[in-house]
Amino acid sequence: MAPNFWNKVFLIFKKDLKDEIRTLSHLLGTLVFGLMLVFTFSYALQLADLETSRVFSAALWVSIYFSASLALQRAFAKEVESGTLEALLMGSGDRGVLFVAKFLYSLSLLLIVELVVVPLMWVFMGVTGHNLHLGLLVASLFLGSWGLAAIGTMLNGMTTQLPGSRLLFPLLMFPLLIPLLMGAVLTSQGAVLGETQSVMGWVYLLLAFDLIFTVVPLLLFDYVLEG
Amino acid sequence: MVTTDTLDVKKLHKQIGAKWILKDISFETATGDLLVITGSNGTGKTTLLRILAGLLPKTGGQVLYNGAEYGLERGAIGYVSHKPMLYETLSVCDNLRFFGRLYGINSKVTEEELLRMVDLWPYRYEPVSILSRGMQQRLALARVLIAQPRMILYDEPFTSLDQEGQGLLRAILEENRPRTIQLVVTHEPGLLGELSYTELRLKDGQVEQGEFHGT
Repeated sequence: MAPNFWNKVFLIFKKDLKDEIRTLSHLLGTLVFGLMLVFTFSYALQLADLETSRVFSAALWVSIYFSASLALQRAFAKEVESGTLEALLMGSGDRGVLFVAKFLYSLSLLLIVELVVVPLMWVFMGVTGHNLHLGLLVASLFLGSWGLAAIGTMLNGMTTQLPGSRLLFPLLMFPLLIPLLMGAVLTSQGAVLGETQSVMGWVYLLLAFDLIFTVVPLLLFDYVLEG
Repeated sequence: MVTTDTLDVKKLHKQIGAKWILKDISFETATGDLLVITGSNGTGKTTLLRILAGLLPKTGGQVLYNGAEYGLERGAIGYVSHKPMLYETLSVCDNLRFFGRLYGINSKVTEEELLRMVDLWPYRYEPVSILSRGMQQRLALARVLIAQPRMILYDEPFTSLDQEGQGLLRAILEENRPRTIQLVVTHEPGLLGELSYTELRLKDGQVEQGEFHGT
C-alpha cells in the first residue's frame, strides 16, 4: 500500500533523527554555540549590573536566534551535499512532505537546544522569578521556536541550492523574523515578570505568524525548492 | 499484468539565462524500449533527463506520459545519477529500507533479493561511507529498483563500475526491459555490449541523429 502524506513525513523525520543521533555533528555544534552565548551574555550583563529579570528574555531570544540561524541552515544543505535531495524529491511525490518533515526536524533540534540553554541562562543570570508564569514562558518558547523553524525551513529550501547560500540565509531570515522576535521577547518577559494579561496580544500575533509561515510554504513548496 | 507506458516528448525547449540548453527535442519511446542518449559534454543530455524526472522545469514543449502531462506520478520514475544519492552515515540496509518505505515497499524479502543481486548482502550492516564508489553505485541501482518504477532514467550509470558491475548493469537493463521505459545517458554506448537499443545523439541541444542498434 502506498504510504500517505503523514507516513512519508514520519519516515523522513525519523531518518533525519537517526542520522543526527549517529553523528551528533549538527546538534553538538549548535549546543556548544548556544552555551557560549549563554556564558557571554551572563558575564556581560552581570558586569553591567542590570536588573536581570528585565533583560533575561531579550538575552535569551538573541541566543536562541543566533543558535537557530546555525541550526536551521543544515536541514536541506546536508541533503544537497550528499546528493540525496533529488532522490527525496522523487520519492516523496508531494514536496509539502519534505517541508513538514524538515520543519519538524528543525523544531525538534531547537527545542532540544532550548532545554539546555534556557535553564542554564536562568541560573547563570541569577533570575529570581518570584512572579514567573511557567506556562506562558513555555508557550512563548514553543510558539517562537515554531515560527523560527518554519521560516528557517522555508528559507533553507529556497537558498540551499544557490551560490552564497550561507550568507543569503541569515540576511533573508532576519527581516522576516522581526515581528516574531518582538512577540517572543515581550511574551517571555511578561511570563518572567508575571504580567500575563498585557502580553496576550503578542501571543495571538505569534499564533498568527506561525500559522501563516507554516501554511504558505506548505502550499508553495514546489516553487520554494526551485529557488 | 505488464502495463505498457508511453513517453512522448514534443518540441521540448530549455533555456537557462540567455542560453538555449535544449532546442526542439522530439522523440517517442515506450515500455520495452531502451533509449540511449549520447553526445559530447554540454549538449544537454543530463538536462533532458532531469526534465523528464520532474527535477527541472522545461521552458517550452510537451512531455507526455501515456498521452498526458504528468501522466506518470513522480514515484513511478526512478533516477540513477552519476552521484549515488545515498546517506553515508546510514547502513546499506537502512538506506534501502528508507527508500523502499518511501515508495510503500516494506518487504525484507525484496531487500534481501536486491542486495544479493547487487552483491552487497555481506555488507548490509556496514555504513555506506565505507563502501567503494563502485559498490555505492550498485546500491544506488538497488535503491531505484526497490521502488519498482515504470520508467528508469540512468545518468552515466557505468561511472565507477568495474567489469563485474558493468555486466550486472547490463543484466538489469535487459531484465527490466519488459516492464519499464529505460533511458540511458552515456558517453560510452559501447559498454552496453550486445544489448539492442535506439540511440538518440544530441549536438548543441538538438537531436542530431536517431539510430537503432542491435538485432
